[in-house]
Amino acid sequence: MANSLFEEKLHSDEFLVTTEVGPPKGVDVSEMIHHIDILKDKVDAINMTDHQSSVMRFPSLGGCLLVKERGGEPILQMTCRDRNRLALQADLLLAYSRGIVNVLCLTGDSIDVGDHKEAKPVFDSDSVQLLRMIRTLESGKDIAGNDLKGAPKFCIGASVHPEADFIEPQLVKFDKKVSAGAQFFQTQGIFDLGSLRRFMQYASQFDVKILAGIIVLASARMAQYMNANVPGIIISQAIIDELAGVEKGKGLQKGIEIAARFIKTIKEENLCHGVHIMAVGNESIVPDIIEAAQLVVAPR
Amino acid sequence: MYPSMYGNTHSYPAYRKETATRERSFIPPCQAACPLHMDIREYVDLVAQGRIMEALQVIRSGNPFPSICAYVCNHRCEDACRRSQVDKPIAIRALKRFALEFGGDRMVQVEAQTRHPEKVAIVGSGPAGMACAYYLRKLGYPAAIFEAHSELGGMLRVGIPRYRLPREVLDIEIQRLTQMGVEIRTSTRVVSLDLLFDMGYKAVFITIGAHQSLRMGIDGEESPGVVDGATFLREVNLGLKPSLGERIAVVGGGNVAIDAARTALRLGTHEVYILYRRSQAEMPADPAELEQTLQEGVRIQSLVTPTKIERQDGRLKVTCVRMELGEPDASGRRRPVPVEDSEFNEDFDTLITAIGQAPQTPGDFRVQIGRGSTIQVDPITLSTNRIGVFAGGDAVTGPATVVEALAAGRLAASRIDDYLEHRYPSVSKEEQETLVGDLLPETVEMIRKTGRLDAPLLPAEARIKEFEPIELVYDWETAVNEARRCLRCGMGAEILFQDKCATCLTCLRVCPYHVPHLDTKGTIQIPVDQCQACGVCVAECPAKAIVLRKPYDRRHVTEELDHVLKSATESKVSPLIIGFCCQYGLFGTGTLANLWRAAKAGIWIIPVLCIAKVEADHLLRAFEMGAEGVFVAGCGEQCARESTTSWVGHQVQKARKVLAEVGLEPNRLRMYVPSAADANPAEWLDRFVEQIGGLYLASVIMQEVKVDSR
Amino acid sequence: MIVAEQKPLQEIRRMISPYERVLILGCGTCMTVCDAGGEREVSFLHNALRLAQSKGGNEAHRFLEYTLKRQCESEFLETLVDKVGDVDAILSLGCGIGVQAIAERFPDTPVLPGVNTSFMGMSKEQGVWDERCAACGDCRLEDTAGICPITRCTKGILNGPCAGTKNGKCEANKDMDCAWVLIYKRLERLGQLEKMRRYYPMRNFRAIPRPKRLVRTPVGVGEDNG
Repeated sequence: MANSLFEEKLHSDEFLVTTEVGPPKGVDVSEMIHHIDILKDKVDAINMTDHQSSVMRFPSLGGCLLVKERGGEPILQMTCRDRNRLALQADLLLAYSRGIVNVLCLTGDSIDVGDHKEAKPVFDSDSVQLLRMIRTLESGKDIAGNDLKGAPKFCIGASVHPEADFIEPQLVKFDKKVSAGAQFFQTQGIFDLGSLRRFMQYASQFDVKILAGIIVLASARMAQYMNANVPGIIISQAIIDELAGVEKGKGLQKGIEIAARFIKTIKEENLCHGVHIMAVGNESIVPDIIEAAQLVVAPR
Repeated sequence: MYPSMYGNTHSYPAYRKETATRERSFIPPCQAACPLHMDIREYVDLVAQGRIMEALQVIRSGNPFPSICAYVCNHRCEDACRRSQVDKPIAIRALKRFALEFGGDRMVQVEAQTRHPEKVAIVGSGPAGMACAYYLRKLGYPAAIFEAHSELGGMLRVGIPRYRLPREVLDIEIQRLTQMGVEIRTSTRVVSLDLLFDMGYKAVFITIGAHQSLRMGIDGEESPGVVDGATFLREVNLGLKPSLGERIAVVGGGNVAIDAARTALRLGTHEVYILYRRSQAEMPADPAELEQTLQEGVRIQSLVTPTKIERQDGRLKVTCVRMELGEPDASGRRRPVPVEDSEFNEDFDTLITAIGQAPQTPGDFRVQIGRGSTIQVDPITLSTNRIGVFAGGDAVTGPATVVEALAAGRLAASRIDDYLEHRYPSVSKEEQETLVGDLLPETVEMIRKTGRLDAPLLPAEARIKEFEPIELVYDWETAVNEARRCLRCGMGAEILFQDKCATCLTCLRVCPYHVPHLDTKGTIQIPVDQCQACGVCVAECPAKAIVLRKPYDRRHVTEELDHVLKSATESKVSPLIIGFCCQYGLFGTGTLANLWRAAKAGIWIIPVLCIAKVEADHLLRAFEMGAEGVFVAGCGEQCARESTTSWVGHQVQKARKVLAEVGLEPNRLRMYVPSAADANPAEWLDRFVEQIGGLYLASVIMQEVKVDSR
Repeated sequence: MIVAEQKPLQEIRRMISPYERVLILGCGTCMTVCDAGGEREVSFLHNALRLAQSKGGNEAHRFLEYTLKRQCESEFLETLVDKVGDVDAILSLGCGIGVQAIAERFPDTPVLPGVNTSFMGMSKEQGVWDERCAACGDCRLEDTAGICPITRCTKGILNGPCAGTKNGKCEANKDMDCAWVLIYKRLERLGQLEKMRRYYPMRNFRAIPRPKRLVRTPVGVGEDNG
């Protein structure tokens, strides 16, 4: 019995498509609502990022509420960077009570990469411990062992990094997340299908769904910037060259083309169970990518 | 009241007072090996600093006739020198000669006053007698030297050839004795000591030397054409020119034998052979002199000894037998044994015997004679069996060295003083430990190997033409560079305040020579026999627990700095620039000497004994007392110690950081380290002065400098 | 070793500005070893302050220098008894413990901190100190092959690594090794990788409540223990 529409789709054999929306830095949510509106029927679920890259923003939980309000299927991205175990459990209780049951459990980027560099990093928990925390709540107790007045039920996932340069520790982590109860994984940006294939050879033994992360690049400079500064991203020189090769103004077009190419290949070759399209800052082009990749989402 | 380095007069000392001002240093092996215990380490260091006059003073304080030793000493110090563990020993004797000549030793006047009535007679005027006379005069006793020959000097005059010891040198020393008031009676042979006592002398020192040649004891030894070495040398040294013929042989292997051989060459003999009964390697002569002898063309026949001499047709037919080395004898050397049926004959025009000498003491002296015809004395008091009669030198030891004789003469003077003052002759218990020990391989590896710079010699062909001195004196630069090779044994660092040491391991990590180490109890030890006295750990120790053993080294920089700052601030010349310049090597000899001479008004040089001793504190102090610019000038690649430049750089960086924090331009503090031999420090200094001048003007205009504040 | 760094000169000057007679007090233990507050640094700071004063002009301080073996022991502090009367403030170059110990012992003399106490760490090469221990009170180095994830991982997570590791370095500081990569490699070398595969629950942040106290009960003397 699935706890959410998204979970239902996880149980099916459909090729899944998710994307993410970044909340604004401020209280003017009009643009975010617009993004939600143009995406909600084209994807199976929408992630709401949680202070992505440690930049302070409108909270993901708030964003998920808006997704729900607008009729979309939200995935709550929850990091361990900013809240201790009391706050995390409390937010989970609130999320469930408002019908937000898909949770992506992340450790969170470090404070140093963000814009509040002197803040206190919390990290009372890490991603694996958060997954277990959720399962514990589902059992009717909080993690201190106290009974809950009403237990939640979630569909939980985590992230994985198939393109890491030193893969073994990542696999150990992946195992732990699976054991902790993760049902689906959204990977870091995939730019080399070979490493995705190798990873899937290992991961397919587990009863989990893997969605390949697809990042839309707008220019060679953006690619280089992400390489240098965004944690977990490794973009190959071939892609950078491809982006550099186009005339000014056509970078984004090229980026969309590259992204669509990846998605098509993944779908045709059945490499994994779906894709997670990341175009934060450029959410409006996601429908174009979906179209270019000829993805069709089953109606709800 | 001018505030000193360590805070104002009311401050508490940053460290507790040292328990004693005793020198916590060890006697280095050179000093221990020298019979006169001269402070060799000190004067070599002074030469390295270019302070030749002071080096001369140190030399003169330990040796009554340093000029003689500078020519002929057998330099036991060099044999003991630990530098030989790295490459070759320091050329100490040659450095001593340099110090004497450049320091103007000939000009030195010596004075003495008479404070006692008792007269002392000295029989014999060799080095022991001369030294005894010198020290007796210093103690205030009237002294008289009785010499059988017409001139003073003993073996120095009649034994050692002129090409080794120029006669002018000897005469200058004798003249000084006269200046001191020593009464001299030449051509006076003493036959009875009783006569001397009758004449009113209260004590006698017998130092008649060992001039009687030993006989070989073979047939034909009395033949004409056979002469003993001592007699031969005496005749030549007193001015005779015996004709020896074309082909001569000298029998023996010691210094007398090779002196005789080389003298013969200079008299015109072309073929000179040395016949020695043992192997060449075992010849007791000085190896360097042996080398010179061979260069001059003397040929050595080793493992050969004459057995019979016959006079035939105006020449000597000498029968020799070959020897082989058998079992060791009492001296530890293998005894030569004749090889059967190996006789052969050789013809020579002259044969000189030089197989040893012995003293010839008149029986009338009534002193006890022992083995080798030597006079027996009590080793502590140098007294013979007759009360008031003392003896020393070759007459007591048998043929030995000049410096041993000098030491004996010095000791005799103080023992005679004890005797005349009725003092109990005590043995001094104050014994500083001698520094012994081998350098560790990892230390030797890091020591800069420059190779020994020998004093120049005349070429062999030039040498044998006449009796001019064969060894030339160093030039300034070579002498200083040779002196800088000294390892400064025993002058290194020590942890003076063990309770302050936090065992932070800084000294262990910064030492370029891997010297500080942890002992089994986890305490840091800086072994005195390994430390190269570079001073880096002293400057870097965070607890200021390490000092240099020589008290002078410890205070030197701060005292110089205080002194200069006082003068500089009083002079009120602006802008004031202070330079910490290395005193060694470069400073004394070349590149940095220009700096010194080019020092213009307003630039004050503080000489430091290696810039490794400059600490950040000193640099800040200079600025605090009004310096507009400060520089540190060192020897760079030429420094005798490793890594000093980079560690001083660290101190400079530290000081610069503070300058920036107090609003002074960090560029006011610079380091100057010439890398090429032809770098021009004067040019650099001019630019620096200009730059500082500019900054100074700017700040005056900005009225940030209170011109009257200094 | 407690490692600290001397405060910038400007800050020290600002702190001492109300006081005329200042005792610069060094510490002969940790602060000497990390070269932040030993006798040499006391003397150097003294010289720097005097230099600053001579260039600045309007301050009029008088400085005294002294160094204690350790500032955090009352017996050593007793030697200051006859000195505190002569000063208006003590500028301590000891770690935070020392500063507080002095303030407690001499409550009538203002005590100023001259260094920023930073961490507990070790020096692997001359002049470089790295943090190694966070004093969490719940040491788990057995599970991580002797590499502390709390100090050496920026996020301090126990089920590492995170996805931000690149070329074995941490996303937050590219000069820092990713602790979990180090842990993986060393566990592999020891043949103990199963330790990394285990699930580690959340840390007990109250292993000992703050401010922490440790009491060692002495063994009873003269009792019949049998």
